[in-house]
Amino acid sequence: MEHHASYLAKLLTDLLRLPRYIWGDGAFAHGQALSVLERYDHLFAALLAALLTVLLVYMLRNRMSKVPGPFQQIMETAVSFVRNLVGENIEHHPEKYVPLVGTLGFFILLNNLFGLAPLPSATGNWNVTLGCALVVFCYYNWHGMKEHGFFKYWGHFLGPVWWLAPLMFPIEMIGLLSRILSHSLRLFGNIAGEHVVAAIFFGMMPFLLPVPMMFLGIFFGLIQTFVFIMLATIYISGAVSHEH
Amino acid sequence: MKKFLITALFFAIAVAAFAQAAPDVAENAVETAAAVVNNSFFSGRYVAHLSLGIAAFGCGMGQGKAVAAACEGIARNPQAAGSIRTTMIIGLALIEALVIYSLVAAFAIG
Repeated sequence: MEHHASYLAKLLTDLLRLPRYIWGDGAFAHGQALSVLERYDHLFAALLAALLTVLLVYMLRNRMSKVPGPFQQIMETAVSFVRNLVGENIEHHPEKYVPLVGTLGFFILLNNLFGLAPLPSATGNWNVTLGCALVVFCYYNWHGMKEHGFFKYWGHFLGPVWWLAPLMFPIEMIGLLSRILSHSLRLFGNIAGEHVVAAIFFGMMPFLLPVPMMFLGIFFGLIQTFVFIMLATIYISGAVSHEH
Repeated sequence: MKKFLITALFFAIAVAAFAQAAPDVAENAVETAAAVVNNSFFSGRYVAHLSLGIAAFGCGMGQGKAVAAACEGIARNPQAAGSIRTTMIIGLALIEALVIYSLVAAFAIG
């Protein structure tokens, strides 16, 4: 797969005069020489987004006021949105799961929007979205086991009657494991596809023509963030819910 | 009859693709077949892009039906708009995922 280093990474490499190497026997990026910053720009973007999330929320926490400014209003809307989302879908103790879902939401939204500025975008790289999906996977399995107990939780995958278990268990396992794949590939494919389309439009005419596509990019970024955290909530809810 | 015709068409295409290899088959069948598959219209790159088109076609049909049903539901019962919209977005995301797999395959191959 081709690797498109972001404009910012190229600029910083040139400014800081970082050395450029050929990575992986020339198999990577068609043997193009890339600096560390260009090769791993998704990691730097992920770090930047994480730091920005923590910093903004920390700054806000110290100056919460009864008369909210614009930034506090935006953040309050976002937090109450996540709270409602989790509260509607999980029956027992939904507030326990808000931090992870909200953090993922902020992280992914920031990364999706980074791609519109000439910044590196981490969610356009499968490694990062796979990491997010794996975190969600481990999290809901862990909480399912904590809620039901180890044997009862995995016993859910054996099906309704015992003689169907040899058939049901492999199918349920495939279903469970393919969730990681679908959860991560959905986000990655959407964001990377949108970047490719924007790049092609940019190549055709680098003025005004990419603007509608970038506007769609804002919309898609929001929708995909929503879909990701919504699915995470549903997976958690499916793992911890008690059948009546 | 229609099914038979479609099957026959696919076979004809397959035979046409391999017919180019016919003169050399005696010499080295495996290499020739590989060369045909790699160089003909049926090589990975074109097939990946074609499959993306087919997937997008199916996705368009499915999403159209889903959105039409959601609009109808909201028009009949505007109070339920919020939950219908949420369910619709999840459904659309799940339908869209199938095209995204195809897109990822096209990225990986082409």
